[in-house]
Amino acid sequence: MFGFTVGKLLRASTVLLGVSFLAFIIGHASGDPVLLLVRGDATAEQKAELRHSLGLDRPVLAQYVDYLGHALHGDLGVSYRQHVGVAGLIRSRLPNSLELAGAAFAAATLLGFALGVLAALYRDRWIDHVVAALSVLGQVVPGFWLGLMLVLLFAVHWRALPVSGSGGIAYLVLPALTLALPTMGRMARLVRAGMLEALGSDYIRTARAKGLGESEILLRHAAPNASLPLVTQAGLEFGDMVGSAFIIESVFAWPGLGRLTVNAVLQRDFLVVQGCVLVIAVAFVTINLLVDLAYAWIDPRVRAR
Amino acid sequence: MRGRLEPAAFGRRLATLLVIAAAILQASCAPKTQDAVVVASVSDVSSLDPHLLDNNHPTGSLIWSLFDSLVRRGPDGADLPRLATSWERSDPLTWRFHLRPGVKFQDGSPVTAEDVKFSFDRMNKPPFNTLQQLWAQTTLKEVRVVDAQTVELQTAQPSVTMLYWLEEAFIAPKAYYSAHDAAYLNSHPLGSGPYSLVEWVPGDHVTLTANPTYFGGAPAIKNVIFKVVPDASARLNGLTTGDIDLALELPPDMISQAKTAHSRPVEILGLRKLHFGISQNAKLTALRDPRVRQAMNYAVDVAGMIKTLMHGSTVPLTSVVNPPNADPNLTPYGYHPDKARALLAAAGYPQGFDLDIDFTPFWGQDKDVSETVAGYLNAVGIRTHLHADEWNDFRRKLSDQSFDGIFYAGWAALINPSVELVIFTCKQEDNASGYCDPKFDDLVHRANTEFDVDKRKALLDAAQEIAWNDAYWIFLWRAPVYAGLSDRIDYQLRPDDYVEIYLAKPRH
Repeated sequence: MFGFTVGKLLRASTVLLGVSFLAFIIGHASGDPVLLLVRGDATAEQKAELRHSLGLDRPVLAQYVDYLGHALHGDLGVSYRQHVGVAGLIRSRLPNSLELAGAAFAAATLLGFALGVLAALYRDRWIDHVVAALSVLGQVVPGFWLGLMLVLLFAVHWRALPVSGSGGIAYLVLPALTLALPTMGRMARLVRAGMLEALGSDYIRTARAKGLGESEILLRHAAPNASLPLVTQAGLEFGDMVGSAFIIESVFAWPGLGRLTVNAVLQRDFLVVQGCVLVIAVAFVTINLLVDLAYAWIDPRVRAR
Repeated sequence: MRGRLEPAAFGRRLATLLVIAAAILQASCAPKTQDAVVVASVSDVSSLDPHLLDNNHPTGSLIWSLFDSLVRRGPDGADLPRLATSWERSDPLTWRFHLRPGVKFQDGSPVTAEDVKFSFDRMNKPPFNTLQQLWAQTTLKEVRVVDAQTVELQTAQPSVTMLYWLEEAFIAPKAYYSAHDAAYLNSHPLGSGPYSLVEWVPGDHVTLTANPTYFGGAPAIKNVIFKVVPDASARLNGLTTGDIDLALELPPDMISQAKTAHSRPVEILGLRKLHFGISQNAKLTALRDPRVRQAMNYAVDVAGMIKTLMHGSTVPLTSVVNPPNADPNLTPYGYHPDKARALLAAAGYPQGFDLDIDFTPFWGQDKDVSETVAGYLNAVGIRTHLHADEWNDFRRKLSDQSFDGIFYAGWAALINPSVELVIFTCKQEDNASGYCDPKFDDLVHRANTEFDVDKRKALLDAAQEIAWNDAYWIFLWRAPVYAGLSDRIDYQLRPDDYVEIYLAKPRH
């Protein structure tokens, strides 16, 4: 297990190093931020002065090594646009993103699990069909459109929830739901398949033969086995959610990391872009690492591979 | 049997739980507190440091609310008193400003000539000088404190645009801005303006509250929230539900939806002049022939495009300068494809030529406008090739003057003929088409140092006539400004995108 962990950690740090380098190079290749920082009527001398004061006139590799050194100490540089530390900007947005992702993830898992169990119990009945329809819908409907439709219904038509922004729990409901639906659909299908397999297996027949109650059979025997694949799925879903969050946060004016990144990209504020990419990569790699380790811990066969 | 649960019962319990959850959510929706006026914009302010002002809105609108300049720019471009009550020129190179007596910053300290000098000097240092043009554009050399209420500005050359640039130069207290570091000042503004800052939650909103001691009297609307709502339909939805009072930057095809039970659409003629720039550096020598450029103007039905693409809500340009300074003798080219063909033939291109057209989403409707213009040009024999550019790429070509043909762009949301005309002066950074006509330059530079109103007007008109008759652009129209306004307030939009929310009034 120790060797396995060390191997995984090494691989994770290599991935992060690669991501940081790519983000850095792509940022630099995408154009000259100086042109987007100055007013249109700035003189060539002003531009050169700004380029120098930002350190953009030094060799790219030297800039990268410098950046990496500082990043390891938690210093991600200063935003060209907002003139404040990138680390601080990310720190101010990260809790919002975690709140949104956490709520969406919890909603997706709980609802997905409940719907999956229901669908399996009522196999081929109307409830199963409704769940199947919902799952497919959640996956094929684009998030931004779904978000707008939910807003029209819940916020504009019924006035039950706010249109956009952040504040109390009420603000969280629609963006979290929009973000959760595709994941929920996949989770429900996964749980349904797992439940059907479990319910047809020998140990359930044995449990029934012992005279156990149906709820005990469901919750203590079938459900834990059916939810095992969810562990792997969770790691994959995280990446998907990060991707959707970029759009959903704009639709709902949610002040999270996604909006920060998108705005930074549009403004060529590429120290912010690099910082965000790095933080998201760290989160992604960490979660996958945890999933791998958890899996290895649960299932010894994985370690041997 | 303990814990026995039939599938049906499981479903019922789940349904009960969902209902309870829904009830909790419903209860947690606090009733709307509607005392603040909410202004919704696409993007967030970049900084609340007055000398890092980088755009008219939203950063400019916030700075205008928190700080004062010596001179206020009226919506029509007029120079109005603000912190300065009067000014005069003691000689062509020296401006003297008299400060309004008794004005205080929001911490109670008085506004003095020392603060003015400090603020202007600060604008001349990095990083501020990369954004602030006061010193570079006015040839300002020195700011002198005459006494506590009087300040003198010394320039190297006579500068008729001094007041224009002072309107974007904001006064900050010397003591406070010397005592704190850049990061702190970025988010902790202290000015003398009509509002003070309550909080700034980056990416979400800025909350302001009225300054009760404002020299012009406390604003009629006490609490204002500048909210960031990037999505246009979300801004419209907020207008519908009453969460937003002023929804800015609405696209033209959505403006009719701003009419709801308690809101109305507003549209005014903006100042940005949409056009196709005509590159003079392109390998294509045809573009250097004025007859070819005139032909392209005659070939395009601008009035027709305004009807079909712009819902009739704007007017064709008649100059590169906005009214009221536009030369009244100039009139639109009009749609005359026959004249266009004749001019092309006279210039030696009876068979037309190949022409690249670049566009980028920045100015809106880029694709529709470019394709329509391409169609008109094709009709007179010019073979067009459309290129959709990414903004950064487009911006680089603007800066390098490296377009291969014509390009769709907007110019200068401002009213100042001298500032507007610089776009065609030799070696000017904004001169993306690369024009260089010494005669034109001479007129613009002489106008820039001519204080006599009539003589100056004659010079400016002569320069405008060159740009118009030699067809430096394919002239289109002024970009309209669209917004949605709730019936709770009255507010007159400015054509230059600044929002002076302290002038808004509640409606009774």
